[in-house]
Amino acid sequence: MNMLVVLAIILLILMYQVGGKNGIRSFISLFLNFIVVLVVVFFMLDTNTNILILTLVAVVLISSINLFYINGMNQKTLTAFAATLLTISILLTLIYVVSQQMAIHGFSEEETEELVPYSLYIGVDFLQVSAAVIVLTTIGAIVDVAISITSSMHEFFEQNHKMTKQQLYQSGVAIGRDILGTDTNTLFFAFFGGYLGLLIWFKDLSYSFGEIVNAKVFGAEMVTIFCSGIGIALIIPIAAALSSVTLQVKHKKSKPSL
Amino acid sequence: MRAKWRIIILIMVSLITTIGTYYNEALYDKPIAKIVHTKITAQEEVHDRGGNKDTIYEQQMEAIVLNGTAKNTRVTLTNEFSESGAFDTSYRNNQRVFIAFDDDSETTAHIVNQKRDYAIVLLGWLFIATLLIVGTKKGLLALISFSCNITVLLIGLELYSRFDHLSLLIVSAVIVLLFTLISLLFVNGCNAKTYTAVIATLIGTGTTMAIAFVVMLLTKENGLHYEEMQFLTRPYQTVFLAGLLIGSLGAVMDVAITLASSLFALQERNPKMTLIELKKSGRVIGQDIMGTITNILFFAYVSGAIPMLLLYFKNGLPFGYTLSMNLSLEIARALVGGIGVVLTIPITIHVSLWFMTRRQVSA
Repeated sequence: MNMLVVLAIILLILMYQVGGKNGIRSFISLFLNFIVVLVVVFFMLDTNTNILILTLVAVVLISSINLFYINGMNQKTLTAFAATLLTISILLTLIYVVSQQMAIHGFSEEETEELVPYSLYIGVDFLQVSAAVIVLTTIGAIVDVAISITSSMHEFFEQNHKMTKQQLYQSGVAIGRDILGTDTNTLFFAFFGGYLGLLIWFKDLSYSFGEIVNAKVFGAEMVTIFCSGIGIALIIPIAAALSSVTLQVKHKKSKPSL
Repeated sequence: MRAKWRIIILIMVSLITTIGTYYNEALYDKPIAKIVHTKITAQEEVHDRGGNKDTIYEQQMEAIVLNGTAKNTRVTLTNEFSESGAFDTSYRNNQRVFIAFDDDSETTAHIVNQKRDYAIVLLGWLFIATLLIVGTKKGLLALISFSCNITVLLIGLELYSRFDHLSLLIVSAVIVLLFTLISLLFVNGCNAKTYTAVIATLIGTGTTMAIAFVVMLLTKENGLHYEEMQFLTRPYQTVFLAGLLIGSLGAVMDVAITLASSLFALQERNPKMTLIELKKSGRVIGQDIMGTITNILFFAYVSGAIPMLLLYFKNGLPFGYTLSMNLSLEIARALVGGIGVVLTIPITIHVSLWFMTRRQVSA
């Protein structure tokens, strides 16, 4: 039997056992996300697509799945959604500029040896592709931080309606700080696991320090690590600020009717 | 006032180190040149077998050598790049590049690589600054544990490549143990909550790896394609397993510490909660986080395969073949990580309850 099928079945059973209906929903969301990634790839194949705009559309779809499908459509998820979009737009600009300056797009020298049989003149703008890849790599973590902050702030505000905008913002940032470390850890260890082969490759082929720090693969990986860290940190004040405003506005609106 | 000074010092240090790296040509043995003039000398539209259109440009540049014996001499550089830039790039004025002189020539050369070191330093400082400004003390702790982890990883790999008889899996297991201790003890301090998370992480990671290993044996790795695994100088299976181990660890730790903190906080706020109630709350929290953390892993692994997928599809390779060649390892990693995340939920709940009952008995 196919190993991936077996692993997927084990994951599905475990998610159902531990999470019940929510577990099944998590599994389905994983599957939906996979489909979104494939659809994105298909649109990238059309050389007329603007890949940066396509990336933003993908972000809208992915955050809709991970926010609205899993947690329902409400003020918490809507605020998290807006914060995610805003953060990703800033991040995408940063990543695009950095990728352009550092020329980390496309395949590296180390990879091209295996690519000999293929035509590399395929007309897809690889600079935009590399920006899209880095943004998609981080999207899971950014959505996670956003929803954790907005739902905890909602909880705080429910318990104490007298909280000022400033106090709400501070509490949101405090929650964000708590998850900053763990979420960057999750992401970075996943990266390390993937880079393991590359690190051993550098050692075995005795790359010098200078060669490593200027290599395209290394540059691309450092940009991924640094930009995803920046993204996770950046969403904290953005989500906290948006949430503090929307909570107050909603509260003021609902007051007169009481 | 002190905060202001700290920011000024941070900005100064980052500027000095970035500019220092920008002008560090003297440290390199290989010749580095600064491009001062560039022009496109030829351009050609190409069509490949798959019907893809692209434009190839020829670029000629004047550059000044910045280091070595040929310092201050002018060289002519040529470069070819495509519109799509799948493996090539265009160059601009003022860029610094590593060059190799053409045979028997002191005036013509080609570009070997771009100088990227200063950009990495600058971006690194931006990363540090963002984490410090947003995260303050917590950001600093995260940065310190991050750099300790990298040091451990590098030392481990150094030992592995030096001593041939060391197994990569054993090295990785030791690395994982150190990662867990550094990341959890350092940020959360020595207390029952942290011990719970450490024990749960180790049990969770161990069980996950055992499951992955058994499934690999039973299915004879049917469906896994190592052919496209890049950068291999060692047996691919071991590299894959070691990567699996380290890759799932972060997510497992995330679940363990989040759940343990919440459970201990709940019990502190309401000491009268029964074990059954705590168990129930733990499940609810676990359900909330398992989906998002699995998704973090999924995107971290699968997104990286996109350029390869594009290349395969554009070269007219079939859908199923392209996916299985380029995604099988990434999906296996994401699934194993997901299994780790879900398994760690009941494990953490049980370890937490065990610590709590022990504390109650001793009290």
